[in-house]
Amino acid sequence: MSEITASSNTPILCAAAGLDAVITDIESRLTEWATETGTALAALSAKVSGTAVDKLVRPVVEELVRTPDGYIAGAGFLANAGLLGPERSYIAWWQGEDLEHVDALANFSPNSISRYVKSEWFRVPVDTGQPHVTGPYVDFLCTDEYVLTFTHPVFCRSDGPVSGIVGMDVTVQRLERGALPALRRIGERATLVNADGRAIVSAAPDIAAGDLTAAEEGCSVYPVGRKFQIWAGAAAL
Amino acid sequence: MLLTPQGASRSLAAVFTPIRSRGLVDEVCSRIEQAVETGLLTSGQRLPNETELAAALGVSAVTAREALSQLRTSGIIRTARGRSGGSFIADDVLPSRDRALEQLRQLTRLQISDLGLHYQAIAAACAGVAARRSDAADMATLRSFIPTAEADPLHWRLAVSEFLLEVAAIARSARLARELIRLQADLGPLTMLPCADPAYRRTTAGLLDDIAAAVEGRQSSTAEVAVKALVAATTDWLLNEQSKRYH
Repeated sequence: MSEITASSNTPILCAAAGLDAVITDIESRLTEWATETGTALAALSAKVSGTAVDKLVRPVVEELVRTPDGYIAGAGFLANAGLLGPERSYIAWWQGEDLEHVDALANFSPNSISRYVKSEWFRVPVDTGQPHVTGPYVDFLCTDEYVLTFTHPVFCRSDGPVSGIVGMDVTVQRLERGALPALRRIGERATLVNADGRAIVSAAPDIAAGDLTAAEEGCSVYPVGRKFQIWAGAAAL
Repeated sequence: MLLTPQGASRSLAAVFTPIRSRGLVDEVCSRIEQAVETGLLTSGQRLPNETELAAALGVSAVTAREALSQLRTSGIIRTARGRSGGSFIADDVLPSRDRALEQLRQLTRLQISDLGLHYQAIAAACAGVAARRSDAADMATLRSFIPTAEADPLHWRLAVSEFLLEVAAIARSARLARELIRLQADLGPLTMLPCADPAYRRTTAGLLDDIAAAVEGRQSSTAEVAVKALVAATTDWLLNEQSKRYH
């Protein structure tokens, strides 16, 4: 690549890097939180209680959702079966400025794990032991919005079972506000897509969030976070 | 009464959102009744005390106490005194069939038809968009909600509402999904009545297959027609039943 093209591409590379930084920040903050939570849970006495979990999780959520211009709509921790009892999950999740407590009544159900066990955002990190991002999808449980949910397994012991997950919700609407200017700098049909090639945010007027898309022949591709990509040009399928 | 393997977490999601409307006591009661109906709270299990309940639902302790006493009066919970005391879900929880029949008796024909039209409009819009946006994973999830022939009426009803919610999820429209949940709440236990009728179950099973095939085959208008037929089957059944029973 000659120096001239390199410099003419710089604004585009900067725009792509800026978007990558937004998602990577969320992912690394979540990893950090998963580690802290695992250590703190391990430090609790043998019996983990809901109250203790709340006390551990809520201050972090408060900080996340109240960050000025932040991306996090809601966040929290969900226990895997076994941490507080068999078949029992425990949800410590809050959302919004006023820290609305989500799904708390489910914590009184003896079979609450059945509420979460099939959800991709819970199942995948628990089954694989790896971080995961779900969506964009319509979130019926917490936000009632079209969202991305980043989740990460929590381990109390490095060789132990998955104790639960920590997660963060980012609405597609918030992401559009943040990402659209950068996408427009990259190209008039630049599109942020998930691993399935589904549009999350697009500069193209005919591509809506949720549409399946294809990259234009030979267009540049920029990685964004662990799973996403920017396609410099995309077509609706 | 346990949840089907596919669970019913999404219809239930509405049960646990914080309460901000009027008639708080009634609202708390109906949430708990719904949770019992859908199997999330089970007979004999202990309920949280009024302080915990208040904190969980974001209402005052007074409201929680009144709700518990109302649930006691209607026989949904029983209270035991002493050291192992507390409030428990009653062993013979009132079957919601009685409530559904009461609701059917009170509704006018106009209300039933109009609710049906609204439900049709929203669900059909979801189906049309879903047919443009579905992928293989979506289809596997959608088909998992098609109930098996031996499902009891309560599970059949849950499966059908979950199926339609999944169509909204595949459409990826949060607004339409929220509207669908509201409509399902408005219909309440009413929709369990037709599910006890084998003929209705045969009809709906066929229509659910048709909807899934059309969504998978990217046939928007076919999917819309099939969804409208599904809702119409329910509305027609209810109107007929009402004429038979109450006139």
